[in-house]
Amino acid sequence: MRRFLIIFLAVVCFFPSVYAKDIKELEEDYRAALSRYQKLKYLEEANSWDEYFSKGNDYRNEITGKAGKVSLSAAKDDPLRVYSRLLLYCFHKDQQDTFTEDALSDLMSSVLDYAKLSKNIIPIKEAADKLLVYGEKSKAKELYKIYAKGLALSDIKNEALKEVADGFYKNNNLELAENIYDIYIEKISNKMPKEKFIIELKSIAAAFAYKDSGSNDLAYAESIFKMIENAGGTDVFDQELIYLRGFNLEKDKEYLRAKDVYLLLLQKYPESKYADELTYKAGIIFTYALSDLKAGREYFDKLVDKESIIPYSLASLYQLGLFKQWEGDLTTAKGYYKKLIEKSEGNLTDTLAMAKDRLKESEEGAAMEHNLKVFMDVSLKKASADFDMSKVDLRSSIYNPKPGEEASIKSSVYLASSGCFNVELQYLWSGNLGDIKPDTKQPEFKALYKNQGTKMIGLVLVSPSGITDYTFDLIDVR
Amino acid sequence: MKKFYFSALLFLLLALALGMSSRPSPKVHIKKFKNGHYQLRVNNKPYIIKGVCYNPIPLGQNHEYDWWSDPNKPWEIDGRLMKEMGVNTIRLYQVHDNSDEVKKVIHDLYEKYGIRTILGSWLGFWEYPCPFYGDKNFQERIRKEVLDMVRLYKNEPGILMWVLGNENNYSCLGHVNPWSSEEIDQEPDPQKQKAMRAKVYYTFVNDIAREIHQIDYDHPVALGNGELVGLEFAKEYAPDVDLVACIIYRGKTFGNLFKSLKATFDKPIFISEFGADCYDAYLKKEDQNMQAFFLESQWRQIYENLAGNKEGAGNCIGGAMFEWADEWWKHNQDNPDAWALHDTESNWSNGSYYFDIKVDGNKNMNEEWFGIVALSQDLEQGINPRTNGDAKSDNGSVGVGVNKRVPRKAYYVIREFWKKPNLNIKRNKK
Repeated sequence: MRRFLIIFLAVVCFFPSVYAKDIKELEEDYRAALSRYQKLKYLEEANSWDEYFSKGNDYRNEITGKAGKVSLSAAKDDPLRVYSRLLLYCFHKDQQDTFTEDALSDLMSSVLDYAKLSKNIIPIKEAADKLLVYGEKSKAKELYKIYAKGLALSDIKNEALKEVADGFYKNNNLELAENIYDIYIEKISNKMPKEKFIIELKSIAAAFAYKDSGSNDLAYAESIFKMIENAGGTDVFDQELIYLRGFNLEKDKEYLRAKDVYLLLLQKYPESKYADELTYKAGIIFTYALSDLKAGREYFDKLVDKESIIPYSLASLYQLGLFKQWEGDLTTAKGYYKKLIEKSEGNLTDTLAMAKDRLKESEEGAAMEHNLKVFMDVSLKKASADFDMSKVDLRSSIYNPKPGEEASIKSSVYLASSGCFNVELQYLWSGNLGDIKPDTKQPEFKALYKNQGTKMIGLVLVSPSGITDYTFDLIDVR
Repeated sequence: MKKFYFSALLFLLLALALGMSSRPSPKVHIKKFKNGHYQLRVNNKPYIIKGVCYNPIPLGQNHEYDWWSDPNKPWEIDGRLMKEMGVNTIRLYQVHDNSDEVKKVIHDLYEKYGIRTILGSWLGFWEYPCPFYGDKNFQERIRKEVLDMVRLYKNEPGILMWVLGNENNYSCLGHVNPWSSEEIDQEPDPQKQKAMRAKVYYTFVNDIAREIHQIDYDHPVALGNGELVGLEFAKEYAPDVDLVACIIYRGKTFGNLFKSLKATFDKPIFISEFGADCYDAYLKKEDQNMQAFFLESQWRQIYENLAGNKEGAGNCIGGAMFEWADEWWKHNQDNPDAWALHDTESNWSNGSYYFDIKVDGNKNMNEEWFGIVALSQDLEQGINPRTNGDAKSDNGSVGVGVNKRVPRKAYYVIREFWKKPNLNIKRNKK
């Protein structure tokens, strides 16, 4: 009995101090590993190479040794377990070494274990934030979901939840904002009156839809537009909302779906202030995205006879002239160009200048400007199914410039790797390029437009094996 | 009598069995372990390729320069330096026409410094107007060239292995040195065209590899390949190659290369070209630390993926850094005057080499600055070859000879790494 008492007292008195010592030791190890990690990063960033090469190996050993020890010894509900594994992941990711994948999977499993056992959700968010920085978008999203669920399970009210989401949106952490908005939407969907619910959705969609400045997530915006449609049908869309949805799809290069939305707006609101712009854009999409010249022509025909000098009327005349010139019917082409020149009365010089160039070619029997001809051949004939606008993309820094405001147009090419070979690419720019004629070696340029209207920029990408793909972009000068 | 026949038969079988079992292992071969790891073995001992790509073009000359017949024997100066660093292998992209000179180089490096040689063939990749891999006559000519090379050098003790091609696979995609055939031209689908080209190319390489195996029992045959591009086709059409020799420029390390290869085409891998330049295109100055930083990191990952390391893929057998010495002719190849200038202009971009990627146009890879050793206009043996004995170099020396080699920081950093390889292996595993 006495012996039992001694053992009991020893355990009661001694074990907590051992445990506390262990915890302290783990904390110290983690801090030591973290400081070595930061030091190594600093040495690289500050180009302190002498110390980097002489001590780097020791530091690396300390990081993997100490953080590794903590990651295995800390309890599953101890944030140190998450933080040490996060540190190991960052270290291996920075080193770009073989262990990165394992470190990521260790981190994910430790966060999942931790989330089940602890109510403190801060470490989960910190892990997700770091994963986002390191480009692990889907894993970050997974952890943000857990964080958002944790937040929702707390006593937080719906309004406060939305405020949290708004805060992350304002801080440009869109992944997390979207996760919290999703939970917010789920929570209010059954409790809020339908009309009010749709208003809420509209405000979220508008926040994420395309705009020249601020945070955008075009795909997420479209997912909210779909929710609105599911909740109230297309009737709840007024013309502004339809336009916003279509424009958002257009900027996301979802031309075919954008066209459907534009046609819906034209059908519901034939007298809309957007009618001319959308009729013109429908013509462009039918022609150059769908290679349906006949359908495209029908939309341009609707605009040419407008009495007033509107940019879309002149731009349509230009397009119709272009089709005829491309088809070899120079007489009809000249007719369109002359009508455009006459109708413009010297105004809208962006389109006028192009029409004069084409008229000159037609009158002299000269070939159409090379880049433009190639663009029309590729987009209208679509000789190859491979020309699907997937290998080259165009983006403008802004899509709604004012007249005289500069827009930076940049192409991105998605070709298979060619190692250290420099593949000589040619960029055949055409369409409305402002006053610039970019060289075939230029993957980007700055455009400046004098007049309002929708400006179409065409690009054909040529590699040593021939034409690789094409694309086009639309800029609305307002 | 029956008993006699039976004994004779038994004796014959025994002799055959003994004969077979006494056939020695190939001098150089790759062993596959039960855990799927691969190890290169030379004379039955493990051999890690600590290699450099070697093309010692002096200042003022271009790739046509015949360094093999240089009486000053630049490889002897280089061999000594390489041995001191720990290099055990050089990689040559293509042999010279004069086989005696080639043998002399291989022999000198091996006998004097213990450095082995990997011999390669471009497989006609640089022929103008393009390599006609779809043409039987072209194939036959190249096949003969390669087999002649193998017959000529297979008995040289310094030979390590053969590498067929370099980054020729990119031509199958059509963006580099594009080629075609009547059959391929008739196929309208570009994706199918690429697959058809890959089938033609890899089948051609496989046929050569098979023939080499018949001629040369002692040395493995590698498929040279840019990245892992096209290896899904190689798996189908080139099963007879012993290993892949990949050209990889992924910056700090090789990412998931080793595991990806295991999943795509389970063969051992020799990183036949990798490295970093030492010119900071953004700051417009030489930066030897940047080069050393990348190379040390790359070697660390090569070692992590050697056989025997449980954490790695175990399929790597070593690498050859690009390259031993700078080549001053590479940037402006058409202008002989530029061959004596160390160009700082770049003509390709690689974001993985992030220190100088912010340079205008992102062209940060300086082709003339990849050397582990720099070439000086000063003279190693008092004399400079480009001047033909009648002009002065910068230090006033006159004549013919070898540009002085100036080891860069990477030389010392990698030397230390090889002495004591340090890997980022997790400790305290349960």
